[in-house]
Amino acid sequence: MLMRLVVSRLVQALFTLLAISFLLFLTLEVLPGDVASRVLGREATEASLALLRERMNLDLPPLQRYGLWLGGALRGDFGTSLVSGRPVVDILAPKVANTLFLSVHAFLLYLPLALIPAVVQAIWRNRAPDHILSVATLVLLSIPDFLLATLLLLAFSMSLNWFPAMAIVDHTTSFRGMVHATTLPAITLAVVMAVYALRMLRDSLIEVLRADHIRMAELRGLPRGRIVWGHALPNALAPTLNVTALNLAYLVGGVVVVEKVFSYPGFGSLLVDMLQLRDLPVIEATVLLASAVYIFANLVADIAAILLTPKLRDRA
Amino acid sequence: MRLWRRAPWAMRVGAGILALHLAAALFGPALAGWGPAQMGAGPPLSGPSWAHPFGIDQLGRDVFSRVLHGARVVLVLSLSGTALGVAVGAVIGLLSGLAGGWIDDLVQRALEILISIPFLVLALIAMVAVGPILSGQPVTVIGVVALIYAPRVARIARAAAQEIATRDFVTMARLRGDGALTIMWREILPNARGVLLVEFSLRASYAPVLIGSLGFLGFGLRPPPPEWGLMMAENRALLIVTPWAVLGPGLALSSLVVGLNLFTDGLARMLGRHADFGAAG
Repeated sequence: MLMRLVVSRLVQALFTLLAISFLLFLTLEVLPGDVASRVLGREATEASLALLRERMNLDLPPLQRYGLWLGGALRGDFGTSLVSGRPVVDILAPKVANTLFLSVHAFLLYLPLALIPAVVQAIWRNRAPDHILSVATLVLLSIPDFLLATLLLLAFSMSLNWFPAMAIVDHTTSFRGMVHATTLPAITLAVVMAVYALRMLRDSLIEVLRADHIRMAELRGLPRGRIVWGHALPNALAPTLNVTALNLAYLVGGVVVVEKVFSYPGFGSLLVDMLQLRDLPVIEATVLLASAVYIFANLVADIAAILLTPKLRDRA
Repeated sequence: MRLWRRAPWAMRVGAGILALHLAAALFGPALAGWGPAQMGAGPPLSGPSWAHPFGIDQLGRDVFSRVLHGARVVLVLSLSGTALGVAVGAVIGLLSGLAGGWIDDLVQRALEILISIPFLVLALIAMVAVGPILSGQPVTVIGVVALIYAPRVARIARAAAQEIATRDFVTMARLRGDGALTIMWREILPNARGVLLVEFSLRASYAPVLIGSLGFLGFGLRPPPPEWGLMMAENRALLIVTPWAVLGPGLALSSLVVGLNLFTDGLARMLGRHADFGAAG
């Protein structure tokens, strides 16, 4: 039964992606006025406009153009960049690899950043450490990611000089160099995600600590730390899976801002740069990819929620 | 007043911070020593002093005065964007939940598409897609905030409407022959008020960050308005020279969001809903 649910949700996700691609094409290339003059700006000459119209097949009817674009996209060909003339896939691939590296780094930092404070709060619930961490969570929750990134930049790269102010990397950068360059952006993303998951994790830990088998372990005289780490945490992790998947969805938008602050050459900076240059083929491919990741992360969150809630699981 | 006495202390702190921001929005422009675009306040790029707590930016403008002027800009944009988004979302969601059947299915699919694009990415595209004349205008920023929020609010409103629609007084109204709009206005809306109120304050808490992110990335208001995210972007290149020109607006933005979050959390608790702030998802 669950299998059928997963398949039907996947099919639905594919249709959503198709609709997004159509909407995107419609808003960027069809709706307001002449595309060529919007791409090139008001001072463009008639000759350069004509050249661009030809390159983008602008004399074809919109639906046919969408069909051509979609046909190419399905074969993995997203056209060529208007700015550099290179295939969109060649531009996108290294940036996506960089963002993937940053995301994995952020995720590895996120786990301890969420787990350790939550365990501390659960052990000393309603006492000073819990209250202090609760207030800290609320303050951190209110600091926008671009401000947090700026603060880290000011403290650890400009004052202390531990990290470069610009996380510039290319294909020759070594693994250690990549880790070094992505440290500050990864910390930014990890803190934002951890703060978001922390409250949920704390609450579910406290709930699990009330369960019978934990009481038994307490009566057997096991030390408190071992009870929390060995017995309660594995049970409390389950409800947090959902938050973690939602955090992955946050990451898709979060990288746009954070990569921009640290000038990290990932997919988020690419999107911002290309939006400024109006490079439509690159924008379309980037947004479609971002949406695909976002939809998939949400799908995982939904399925995790269903698996972990017996009532929903039975209905599925 | 009775509500206030029941309010948890965190909510009172939040209300206090919000009152300060509201005062800044109302009287800030009168209190500020300098105009928001007035140059020559002091030597450009000078650091903090008693006369200029956040220093002077590269154009010779007093940063503290600009931050004060900004409170009105940020609050007006955030609140009107959120109000528009919640209003549009509520109407769509309540009607869709009330209608049911294929109309509801169709509306849900359409909302699904908008929600499936990461919200910041959708906001950036919308800012570009409106064309060079509308892009960067206050109305457009308000419209984009509403575009992000309306589908998300509509989902919550729909769930509320579906639950309310099963109750007897709605069945009565239907039997009386009332139209969908009448039922929505007279029966559903009064009962969905609490949900929508929490939804409004939840969304309003994030709106300053959303607007600030757009400004910070260069896709929000076009200079010179003193919107805090935009100010941070303008002064960021000289972060090492005049850090307070970046941190000042950042501090203003964060304190506003702390106030909104504390207030929303308290409100949601009092109305029996768990606040889930931080993400616009």
